[in-house]
Amino acid sequence: MRSFLLLFTGLVLLAGCSNESDPASDKSSFTRIYDNDQFTASFNPIDIKQTPDGGYLILGRRRIQDSNFSGIYIMKVDEFGAFISEQEVDEGFVNPIGPLLESGGNYFFFCMTPVGLQTQLLSMDAEGTLSNPLSIGSSYPAAAAADGNNFLLLSYDNLNKRSVVSVITPAGAITQSKGFSIGAGDAVEEPIITHFLGTGRQLPFLVGRNTAGQYYFNGFYNYTLSLVFTNLTDDDPQGVIQGQQDDGGLSQVVPLDGGKFALARFNFGDNYFLPNATLNTSGISSSTDLGGFLFPELVSNAPVKILRTTMGTKKVALYGSDTRSSQIALYGYDESNGEYIGSSYLGFSNPFEIAAVVSTLDGGLAVCGTTYVAGRFPRICLFKLSKEEVAKSFQ
Amino acid sequence: MKQLFTILMLFAVCLASSAQSKRKQGGLAAKPSQQNKFLEKQWWLGFKAGTNLSEASPIKRYAVMTPTNYAVALTDKSYDSFSKTGSQATLEATFYYKGFSFSVQPTYRHSRFSYSNQYQWDNPENSSERLVLEYDQEQKIDYADLPLIVKFDILRSKLRPYVQAGIFYSLLINANKSVKVTGTDYASGGTNQFSNEPIIVGAKDLFDNYWGLMAGAGVDYNFGNVRVVLDASYWKGMSNITNVDNRFGNDRLAGIGDAQDDLDLNNIVISAGVLFPMRFLSNSFKTLDR
Repeated sequence: MRSFLLLFTGLVLLAGCSNESDPASDKSSFTRIYDNDQFTASFNPIDIKQTPDGGYLILGRRRIQDSNFSGIYIMKVDEFGAFISEQEVDEGFVNPIGPLLESGGNYFFFCMTPVGLQTQLLSMDAEGTLSNPLSIGSSYPAAAAADGNNFLLLSYDNLNKRSVVSVITPAGAITQSKGFSIGAGDAVEEPIITHFLGTGRQLPFLVGRNTAGQYYFNGFYNYTLSLVFTNLTDDDPQGVIQGQQDDGGLSQVVPLDGGKFALARFNFGDNYFLPNATLNTSGISSSTDLGGFLFPELVSNAPVKILRTTMGTKKVALYGSDTRSSQIALYGYDESNGEYIGSSYLGFSNPFEIAAVVSTLDGGLAVCGTTYVAGRFPRICLFKLSKEEVAKSFQ
Repeated sequence: MKQLFTILMLFAVCLASSAQSKRKQGGLAAKPSQQNKFLEKQWWLGFKAGTNLSEASPIKRYAVMTPTNYAVALTDKSYDSFSKTGSQATLEATFYYKGFSFSVQPTYRHSRFSYSNQYQWDNPENSSERLVLEYDQEQKIDYADLPLIVKFDILRSKLRPYVQAGIFYSLLINANKSVKVTGTDYASGGTNQFSNEPIIVGAKDLFDNYWGLMAGAGVDYNFGNVRVVLDASYWKGMSNITNVDNRFGNDRLAGIGDAQDDLDLNNIVISAGVLFPMRFLSNSFKTLDR
């Protein structure tokens, strides 16, 4: 009888260790696919930002019927990833480009008008409520970045056939601008136009500023997709790293401390990562001379995202890209020496493609992408990885 | 099922009270002999096996598929109740004392339950642009159950009906999950019905240990020195069987939109077996014949 009572007490104690759901756990790790039941609907995310309430604001593209360009889609979800609201922005604004740029508690992004092709600056609050658009004037916005309190914009001037870098205030004023010729003839323009129409390959247009204060853009210059360094004053670039027309070049550029760069490049379909590269920011050089780690598992000319983040005490350059097996792959490298520290693969069963990866307030990661539900309907997906999951993969 | 469990528990208590009072009345007339005193205690050891039916009852629902333009409830999983048979094997060690039995019955149990959900995409402007997908998901889970059970014999004849109630703790041993996707595609020029190869994954990480209460009834038949047992009981899970940290942890399942709900697992367990007495007064004594 005593043994029975002892066993009974033991069972009651074990029962006390029950496994109840935990809101903190529900927030820190989840997977979501945001579905729309319309057969012809198509949504592709561009960027994601975590808002101060812990939720997420997602900027995306949507298929529209009356334009060759993609429409604008904005979605707000809560900290658990639950859907809160969406906005299918008026078709008078098309071709949104990322990233979402934060300034003064608002979130900005560039887009353009479908007929005049004029660049517009749209802003919204943390709930995704849009304010009045600001007309910027330049055509074909291709890439953007934050630059202190201002924004950098790379656009394509189709009248003068120039790649144009501009510094723009959140009020929509252009404070500095410089254009660089892409070269004469229609052939060099063709991949740019098909990029915007979505009928050709999506090119890795980039713009930014390195730690030395030089502006750079990854765009067409002198017949070739090139990484161009400029001070926005001189007519000629300070430095050019040439690609192979549109068959080779840089696919991602993120400046690191000490004048180094985390880079990704592509060359006739192959993909290379250079997590701790030194670039020649003056003179002319070739991207094919940069070398790098070859990644045959990635899709041809893969889109690459690089996030600078901290894991434990280590500064990490986190690369994200698309694999041939239709997964999203994340690779971590120690920023200080380029040493590989781990990888993680997201998505299975249906195809998944990366759009953006960001650090979250809880020390985890949010990875936003496109999945093809039922193998056919493009929908936005969101992977939230907890701090522990990230540590397990990358430390 | 909660009501059924309450009724069974009340039934057990009532029967126990009733039988106890009857026994007291009868017991005044008979002076217990040495043999009867001996028979007031007994150890039984035996084996039983049988079948079980499972019901998973959602505590809180979770989903990967998050609708943006239709009702969230349309993505809810539809659970089958007590439709899939499992099996179990039990070792029973029971101490009998004056009509009550205190029993430890470690059990290996294989349980199955299933659920399904359906998604549909269409175009209001073109009725032929329509796709319907149905996901049928079956879980197979193996547990080591550790129940502590109190039984009360209603009669002391050769055929001894009894009622029982107890507590159990179930240790997860293994789990796997298969998902079968079937669909009808009306957009491919006809009515294209298709069925994909099932996705089968190890799912131990998705589940966890749990505890519960049980109650039921059975009957013993004394067959010489061997006791034949047949019992049925309802096992009510009292804690979540889902591993809350891993509900999205399987990429293959999350990729097709599946996330594990928080679940209670309830079972109807039916077993038959034999028990052997561990104490004998003499070689010729028939322990059970009284």
